[in-house]
Amino acid sequence: MKDLLTKLTNTATGKFGAEYAEIRAQNLSKTMFTMKEGRVEAAKQGVESGVALRVLVKGAWGFASVGAMDSETLMDALSDACSMAKAASAHMKSPIKLAATKAVEDHVQIKPKRNPAEISIEEKIKTVSAINKVALTFDKRVKSCTIDYLDLTGTSFFANSDGSYIEQDKLYVWSKLAATAQQSGVFTHSRDELGSTAGYELFDTETPEALGEKLAKRAVNQLKAKPPKGGAFPVVLGPNVVGVFVHEAFGHLAEADLALSGGVLASNLGKKIASDLVTFYDDGTVNGAFGSFKYDDEGVPAKKSLLIKDGVVTGLMHNRETAQKFNAEPTGNARAEDFKVEPIIRMRNTYFAPRDCAFEELIEDVKAGYYFKSFRGGQASLDGGFQVGIQEACEIVNGELGEPVRDASISGNTLETLFKVDAVGKDFELHSGRCGKGQTAFIGDGGPHIRVNEVTVGGSA
Amino acid sequence: MVALEKDAMLSLAEKTVKAALQKGAAEAEVFVYDGKATSVGIERGQITKSDRIIDRGIGVRVQLNKAIGFAYTNIVDNQTAVENTILNALGAARASKPDPDWKGLPERRPYPAALEKTFDKKIFDLRSEDLVDVASRLLDASTEADKRVFPIEGGAGAAYGANVIVNSNGISAFDQGTVVECSLAAIAKEGNTVTPVCFEFSAERNYKINPEWVGKEAARLAVSALKTKRIETKTYKLIFTQFALQELLYYTLINAVKADNVQRNQSAFKDKLGTKVGSDTLTIYDDGLLVGGLRTGIFDGEGSPRQKTTVMEKGVLRSFLYDNYTAKKEGKESTGNASRAGYLSTPSVETTNFHILPGDKTPYEMLSEVDDGLIVYYLQGAHSSNPVSGEFSVVATPAWRIKKGKIEHATRGVMLAGNIFELLKNVSAAADNERKMGQLVAPWLMVENVRVIGK
Repeated sequence: MKDLLTKLTNTATGKFGAEYAEIRAQNLSKTMFTMKEGRVEAAKQGVESGVALRVLVKGAWGFASVGAMDSETLMDALSDACSMAKAASAHMKSPIKLAATKAVEDHVQIKPKRNPAEISIEEKIKTVSAINKVALTFDKRVKSCTIDYLDLTGTSFFANSDGSYIEQDKLYVWSKLAATAQQSGVFTHSRDELGSTAGYELFDTETPEALGEKLAKRAVNQLKAKPPKGGAFPVVLGPNVVGVFVHEAFGHLAEADLALSGGVLASNLGKKIASDLVTFYDDGTVNGAFGSFKYDDEGVPAKKSLLIKDGVVTGLMHNRETAQKFNAEPTGNARAEDFKVEPIIRMRNTYFAPRDCAFEELIEDVKAGYYFKSFRGGQASLDGGFQVGIQEACEIVNGELGEPVRDASISGNTLETLFKVDAVGKDFELHSGRCGKGQTAFIGDGGPHIRVNEVTVGGSA
Repeated sequence: MVALEKDAMLSLAEKTVKAALQKGAAEAEVFVYDGKATSVGIERGQITKSDRIIDRGIGVRVQLNKAIGFAYTNIVDNQTAVENTILNALGAARASKPDPDWKGLPERRPYPAALEKTFDKKIFDLRSEDLVDVASRLLDASTEADKRVFPIEGGAGAAYGANVIVNSNGISAFDQGTVVECSLAAIAKEGNTVTPVCFEFSAERNYKINPEWVGKEAARLAVSALKTKRIETKTYKLIFTQFALQELLYYTLINAVKADNVQRNQSAFKDKLGTKVGSDTLTIYDDGLLVGGLRTGIFDGEGSPRQKTTVMEKGVLRSFLYDNYTAKKEGKESTGNASRAGYLSTPSVETTNFHILPGDKTPYEMLSEVDDGLIVYYLQGAHSSNPVSGEFSVVATPAWRIKKGKIEHATRGVMLAGNIFELLKNVSAAADNERKMGQLVAPWLMVENVRVIGK
């Protein structure tokens, strides 16, 4: 593989006039299925194999993707990519340049305790059935349970015209759990997501029984919940909500491509944008976490990047192109979902660093507010507006947890909200998820419990 | 690589069905896909890239003792790879439990006559250079409109896709189509003010798009979002544009009319057929044959004929949407709503062109009827709506204030909350300006009494 890929990068720069060329090849196998009420909907096994060729010619990108590995097809695709780049460069005002990186040669091997590629599909179905059964039998008001399962294993190959050649083993195990409950016209919905790059041992730490019970319990508990009051309230956010807030409301703004696209962070580098208690990382090095890997899809080592330290913006997440623009180091955030797409700036494991408060201390000063424990979805825009939907919540009344609340959401301006963080817990959880930005990326996010002294709560009551 | 020929695709699929039956499958279905997509990308004010993706693959679905297995590969020119795919599908079926509700793959039924405006050779032949021209016209139109506009992302693209489905019940079908599109996401900047992203696009099955309009319209929206004011919390009359409807309806109304959700008690419309669930204004078809529709085709993801299904007639719920499996469970025929995300997915129930019929008011007339309200373009957070109960709580970003029939100013920090199924009953008018947007074909809708949370 090394000879083939190197020949291609050499031809791009030698014969087709490319300033830079990178070739990514992959051989991946996937197993997936969805289980609904104990019934497997078509278990699937798939092979995805192909090559992505990306070149920079006259400051513009050309990209070709083919599901083939033979030299002739790849040469054609390379020539195609180079002439497309040339066409795209016709109206170039500021040609693209890349930050320099060290050439790397490496072969990254993983050693899972339990490799999903060696586990039968029967056993995987059995694990998921166990979750399903516990959830459905937990309470007769639980009406449905849908579980998606996916694992992905294989190898990716990378070569570029700077002399890097990297082979990396890939391994992901992922599952999404959802249940609904119903009672006298009230419908409730509960979701959970788990993932790992370590191996199938994921299900040894989070047992199917515990997962099923947690899922069902949340759906049932919401049946007696009431809608929240709309308005501004102090809130305590659980690690699951903090994670999605850090990811959606802040993380995307710290992606350098979005910062350059008019995001509010480009003009705030080095400035204080949050309370002293706020420290954020985006970390590609957390062992076994869902957003971890050793090299990104531009061959740059994944780092632990400090984004905010004690309220001050210290850095952004970069690929080689944006690092050059900001005169910064590439951070290893360039990721491509597969060989059909180009690498773009993506988060890895993004989290709020813990401090020293106990949970009781966070709620004891809240007279009338909410505790938002887990989320249903979240979204943000470049101007710093965000929205996070909440699936599990309760009131806080005079410093104590009160009645459950359903279908709430919080929204506001990220920078304003970060200044309102007035207490940060000492606990810490990292959750697994997927992030959509045209492509899907596997990510982690999390943090401790935190308190925000005022945020807009959307509700129908 | 050139596109695979129709005959080559059909013969690959037929051979694979036969081989699957020989290897022990009780039923077999093979889906072959061949696609080519060329695009030119705009990033931060200039054209920066051009991409071409050639994607083909084969998906094999088998039934063995009433258990289903599926496997796929994108290596189609290698016999061993295809044989392994069959074996993987059989292995997956053996691992699954029998499904007593499985009543067989679809039977062959007559297809509609050849459709107009789904394939355009001109789109198939578009080169990067042609798309660079489209993208640069769009870009120029946006920046010439106003200096404060900053185009963030967008471009032009041409896509071709061909599908073949062959199954052991006698279905053997080929269809091909094209789509051309151009789009722009722009913001406006003035001093320290940055607007939310404003997006416009144009997408058609034949080569007839208007990049200048897209550029100008994205710019117009962005500039008009610069000066914002907060508004007070109360109920308002709202106009939802198609962007907002697409967001709001997908996770709620569309979810509720899919038969699989109804059968699994996950739809608020269970037991509501024939009853009034929306206002008289709402007549909705799922129309897989709509001329020029972005989801129009001869057959669906498992070879059942596409059709026009009445979902709602003057507010009365008339039908759910079925694929073969959910239809046979109720002793019905599929409504042609099986959808596949390419060769790597099994079919699932999805809308085709979800067509909300337009009314007769011009957008201008509709605006003039709003004394105190909002027009909502983009929503954030609709995917966190409660899909079963229809409760939603979303951010309108931006929405524009309407006073005495005129758009006055943009707003900020506005949330809308309520229940989509209540909202459907409060739709008081449909405009005459329908447009296609993904699976939605709809006009602007006017809705009374929506709760808006402002300052």
